[in-house]
Order: sequence, then C-alpha cells, then structure tokens
Amino acid sequence: MNSQSVSELKEEQRTSLRSVLLGIADDELIMGHRHSEWTGWAPHIEEDIAFSSIAQDEIGHANLYYQLIAELDQTSVDMIALGRTAGQYTNAVICERPNRDWAFTLARHFLYEVAERIRLESFRSSSFKPLADASAKLLNEERYHEMHADAWLRRLASGPVEGRTQLETAIGDALGESAGLFEPYQLESEALGSGFLPSSSMELLHVWLEEVCSRIEDAGLPFNISPAPIGEVVPTASGALMGDASSDESVPAAKPAIQRKDGLWIIEGPLPGSGGRLGQHSAEFQDLWDDLTRTYREEPQATW
Amino acid sequence: MFQQKGHQDPFVHVGSVTAPDAHMALAYAKECFFRRREGRDLWVVKRSHVHHLGDPSMLDQITDKSYRYPEAYRGVVGKREAAKAKVAAMTGAGPAPRSAASTAGDEYE
Repeated sequence: MNSQSVSELKEEQRTSLRSVLLGIADDELIMGHRHSEWTGWAPHIEEDIAFSSIAQDEIGHANLYYQLIAELDQTSVDMIALGRTAGQYTNAVICERPNRDWAFTLARHFLYEVAERIRLESFRSSSFKPLADASAKLLNEERYHEMHADAWLRRLASGPVEGRTQLETAIGDALGESAGLFEPYQLESEALGSGFLPSSSMELLHVWLEEVCSRIEDAGLPFNISPAPIGEVVPTASGALMGDASSDESVPAAKPAIQRKDGLWIIEGPLPGSGGRLGQHSAEFQDLWDDLTRTYREEPQATW
Repeated sequence: MFQQKGHQDPFVHVGSVTAPDAHMALAYAKECFFRRREGRDLWVVKRSHVHHLGDPSMLDQITDKSYRYPEAYRGVVGKREAAKAKVAAMTGAGPAPRSAASTAGDEYE
C-alpha cells in the first residue's frame, strides 16, 4: 500500500489510517513544542544546544507524518499542523503538560523516547509503505534521543541526593499519564485489520511498560507513582472508545495501579492519561495551542 | 573534542564541551560540533587525561639545528655523484668495496 493507491481505500480504512498518522504526528509536534520552550533556558549551553536539536528533530518527525496526511487530505502541511482547533489535536495529554522543571522534562523525555522507539519499530512492518519507510528512517535519529535521555537518567539516578529525589518524584508524576501514549487510535480495529498498524496500542503499551519499569528499577530508582487524572476511556472490543474525558476537575485523580504481577509489569483498571486521541485535552493545552498557532492564524495564506 | 572529516583524515581537535562523564560529553559533542554533518567520527578525551609539556621554551632551538631540515640536504645527490666521479678518476676503477666493518652492524641511524 503506497500513497497512490490510497484512493482505492474504503472510507473507514482511510479514516483509520489518518487517525493513526495524526495521533503520532500530533504527539511529535506537541512534544517538540514543549521541548523547544527550553531553548535559551536549559541548564547549560551544551544542554541547550542538544535539547533544542531534539526539539527540532521531533518537529521534523511531525512534519514527515503531516506530509503523509496532507497527501491523503489533498491539503497543505501547514493547514494540518496549525490550522485545526484545539479539540482536533489528538496528541496524548502527557505531551502537552507544561515543562514544570528540568526533572519533569527529563522524566517525560525518557518515557516518551522509549515509547516512540517501540512504536517506530512496530510501524516498520506497516502495510502502508510510506509509514514503514518513514519509521525506518526516524529510528536512526531516535537512537540519539535515547542516548541523551538514558545518559541523564543514569547520571541523576546515581548522583547526589537532590537531583535523584527530584527525578524520582518526576518519574512518579509522569509515568502514569505517559501510558496515554498508547491510548488506542480512533478506528484502531480498522487500522489493525488493514495492517496499517502491525500491533495494537495495548500490545505496545505492555512492551513499553515492561521496558521503562525495568530500566527505572535497574537505575535504582523507587516506584512512587503519583495520582494521575484518569479519563474513563475504555477501549471496547471493536476498538471504539467509550466514556468521558479527563478534563472534568470534579473527578478525583486516582493512583494508577502499576505493579508487578507474576513477574510482569501491568496497569490495572482504566488507562491513565487517556482522552488525547479523542481530542480531549487539559486546560493547559489551550495556552499551548494559542502560542503554537498564533502566527498561522493571523495570516493563514502567508508563505515562508 | 576531536573530529575526523574523512575516513583517512586524522582526528583534529576542534573544541571542548563541559559534561559530567564521557557518555554525556559524546552526547553534547555530537550536537555542538556535528549539527551540520561536519565529519564522520568523533572522540572525546577528558581534559585531565591530556598531558601538557608545561614549559614551551623547551621547544626553542638554541643552537644551529639546520641539519634537521630537509633544506639542508638540497644538492646532496649531486655532491655524491661528484665525489664518486672524483674517486673513479683517482683510482681508475669503480667505487671501493664496502669494508667488512661496515657490514658487521653496530651502526645506528
């Protein structure tokens, strides 16, 4: 399946392909945007350059996926990337959370990069060739991102108590909600059936959970999972999602039940950090969206 | 931070980064010096592992060391040919055979 033969797809197949591409593209764009907020403010000059490069890379990845969507939709990349309302973005909620501090940024960076690599590895066998090709290409750049994240994780985990404590807290805060990176895409069962998605989001969630939990444990960090807002979003057998968003402040945040059972790390109960794939975002996303799309909205026809 | 451009080029010092360990130094060096694909490989070496001569005046050449420069040997082939010709004219024969002593070792260069 290539871009040309897309016109032969049935409407649901096409929509399912689009929802997969949009989910991962939005994750990359929003993550890259948050990372880019460190430019000029990172802890030191070398880190500033390295982290700004990573931010640029993530936005570059988003650009690649948006190009594929633009071909499907017969529209422009800018229109897809910047011309949507906040509720049309399908990034996972963890990506939009403010950077807070360097420890939280690093914890999320680590959790995100592992998720991204697992996702890309899986997409390499997608039946949609442009996605398979793009994934193989991006994995190369991904190696550097993980090298960077891993260096920080190990360094802080074995370093002085202050940095270590801050990292522990940050991982506890970010881990639950990062599971939302594997919230099923809209019409996921269709995408699985067509082979666009070689593995389901739930399968990849377990691969990711196993890896990040083992690596956090190997680094000698304790597990203190903080309560995360849980959208009552439950994947049904058909892959469709039912339920409510996490934005309702009256719903008390619950502690995600991440634990080891029979030697495997598992999450029990509803998926924490979900809602993003349905366009349900935190209040913080509104500010980010405002900032991200302001220039585009002022003059959508402008060329650069 | 040492950078190699082509695979046969030497690693050349191009700058430095501040980092807590070699792993981080490599991560930083890649972005600080290779953002635009400036080379094909890189090394980082901890500054404390670089040993410094300390007194650069030791490199000064106090006496005539011109014999250490190739320029000093310009024309040596001509001089040797002239000497051979001179010996041949004096003895009426070819060059003298090397003495036993000169083939027995104990010579250094």
